[in-house]
Amino acid sequence: MKRNLLLIAIAALILPAIARGLWFYRGVPETSVFATPDFSALSAPQAPLKSAEKPMDDPVQYEGVALFDAAHANQFSLAEVEALTGAVKARGGQVELLTDYALLEHKLKYASAFVTISPMLSFNAEEIRAIERFVERGGRLLVFTEPTRNSIYFDFVSGNPIAYSDASAANSLLASFGITVNDDYLYNLERNEGNFRNVFFDEFGKSEVTFGLKEVALYGTHSLESPSGLVLLRGAESTLSSANDAHDPAQGGAALSADGNVLAFGDLTFLTSPYNNYADNAVLIDNLAEFALSGSRTVTLDNFPFVFKGKTVRLYLSSELIRSTEAFAALGRMQAALRNMKLQVEFVEELPRDGDAIIVSTFAPGEEMEPLIKKFGLEFEAGSEFVTMPGFGRVGIYGNNILLFDATPNGNRLILFGNKIEDAVYLIDTLNLGYLSFCLSQENIAVCSTGYGSPYQTETSPTPVPEMENTEETPTPEAQG
Amino acid sequence: MSESDQRWGRIRGGFLWFVLPLVIGILASALVPKPVIGVIRLNDAIYSYTARDMITQIQYAMDHPEVRAVVLAFDTPGGTVVDTEAVYMELARLREKKPVVTAVNGMAASGGYYLAANTDHIYVKPTSMIGNIGVIGYLPPAPFIIEDIITTGPYKLWGAPRDSDMRQIEMVKQGFFEAVSLGREGKLKAGPEVIFTGQIWAGIEAVRLGVADEIGTETDAVKKAASLAKVENYEVANLYDLAGLTPITSPFFFQSPDGVKLPYPNEAGTYLLYIPPLPVK
Repeated sequence: MKRNLLLIAIAALILPAIARGLWFYRGVPETSVFATPDFSALSAPQAPLKSAEKPMDDPVQYEGVALFDAAHANQFSLAEVEALTGAVKARGGQVELLTDYALLEHKLKYASAFVTISPMLSFNAEEIRAIERFVERGGRLLVFTEPTRNSIYFDFVSGNPIAYSDASAANSLLASFGITVNDDYLYNLERNEGNFRNVFFDEFGKSEVTFGLKEVALYGTHSLESPSGLVLLRGAESTLSSANDAHDPAQGGAALSADGNVLAFGDLTFLTSPYNNYADNAVLIDNLAEFALSGSRTVTLDNFPFVFKGKTVRLYLSSELIRSTEAFAALGRMQAALRNMKLQVEFVEELPRDGDAIIVSTFAPGEEMEPLIKKFGLEFEAGSEFVTMPGFGRVGIYGNNILLFDATPNGNRLILFGNKIEDAVYLIDTLNLGYLSFCLSQENIAVCSTGYGSPYQTETSPTPVPEMENTEETPTPEAQG
Repeated sequence: MSESDQRWGRIRGGFLWFVLPLVIGILASALVPKPVIGVIRLNDAIYSYTARDMITQIQYAMDHPEVRAVVLAFDTPGGTVVDTEAVYMELARLREKKPVVTAVNGMAASGGYYLAANTDHIYVKPTSMIGNIGVIGYLPPAPFIIEDIITTGPYKLWGAPRDSDMRQIEMVKQGFFEAVSLGREGKLKAGPEVIFTGQIWAGIEAVRLGVADEIGTETDAVKKAASLAKVENYEVANLYDLAGLTPITSPFFFQSPDGVKLPYPNEAGTYLLYIPPLPVK
């Protein structure tokens, strides 16, 4: 009996708790088994090591000037691209900065390469024509763009930021050479160099620029395409364009024009430290310096006054020329002008057979000039007032001078013909200005008007005196005695 | 013994052996706590103050058995990496014991999603903004020296070389991606090439991609949490109040001199943060 009562008491004691427990709690909570990242196992991606052999320490030496553009609101400093400028200098090249776009045409006359980096100002028609002529003559054009260097403006109405990239300005120049820089960037989420926008390239178009490369990394690059040329750096299939999040095999990180003289990159960061030393970027930069200096430039009269190869120019006056005071004065001024171009002048008495030279003669040249005259197909007719020139026909000798440019492997010669010593002096003085704008030129031959020549002057006649009506002499008062 | 004595004896016996234990039992049953579904709200960025508050609430939920499950009610663009990770790790400890369900109201972006992805279930509104999985960082400038500032090393002033900073951000990303992959294991319906692009999706699309589980309200989240905790007749309580927190804030977002609050953090650094386009003026 007591046992039953005890059980009842216990039941009464715990029943409310059980009831309350059941009222609230209906089972064992579901706690899911889950894992968290092993944070200690995470590591920052390391910079990629070089895979290609760096070219020899003693590179081939060139004499050339790499002209770096700073006249188109270019978003870079020379210090940033020291890897490239250093590689140019290591190959005997010089680095010059173009700070005034008005000097572009002049400087392209002696430059081996024109390098424009992230320009924000478009090139105008005159500049484009000058660069086209430069490239036609074998000059090298290198264009680097950079999607991370935008000019950001804020829309006046919406306040939204709008980024203007350098693609537009670069395309204003590259359109002539069949290369397009897209206003996008390439990325790869699967395999990249420390960030999705840092893209590896291991498929290369065959070119001197890609020689010896196994893998390069670009650090934020526009995509480029060149239907007529060659895409140099082709990304993997997982490399996508930000424009459409898709892969296009016709696009890449760099492109070369069909003539092989124009090279464009979508990235500039790979030229900067420390990225210039990752993967095979150092080899690529060396190749770029080589490309910049190794163009097969054809020097023509278009390059005047930068037409000589060496450091010394020999000056020869043909035998029939009178060494007048005016002639020496003009030649002295020429010497000064050439010294400004770091050229030494050496006066010689015999016609130089090789090396750089300036030869001055008249339309009645000495015998020693015969080979040169024949080489250019000139015909001087004794007693005639005309010279027959290929491509120009019969050219009057009065007021006209002839300029020939003889480019040979051993040196370049500039040959000046004038009717008389006075004409030659006038031509020399005009050439000292450094322009041929008064000349009609075709490749290596030009006719330059000096506007000087007595036979064209009309015969002088007495200044006409107006007929005077007979007038009475002014009477003078007679002197009264 | 008279009949009345016997009746009294039975009454007394009934009182002693049944009513008294029953009353005591009823009183004692109060010791069985009413289950609580704790709600942790975050309507701000994740930074030191909000993270500290969240951790206090999580610890309260861990320490109080009546809190049977937790609902995270989010409207957050994310925040700093370290504060997000701090909350994440505390949340992981809580999840070992109690179910945690997320209800996304306005937004659970970046660091907000870092936390949400590691809960048992995610409810979103049709147009809640969710995702933006990734890291955003401000690289330090290339080091230079200043006449009037003396430091003892090249990176004392700048923290790190730009290159190594970039690589460390990539490491932070790895942790984030792994946390999402593990938290949403078997639930994601798209590959990493979609999930880890940093996109932010509307709730409907997020459910389609498996980034979230269901369209639902905070009430649905509470019910789900109760269901996972196997409790009924529960109480829904704001853990902020239960934990006895008082509001302390400091400006996380940049505020212009004319008082306009911009979606950019006040300080440069590395963030798990969604920075929306500037609002139309």
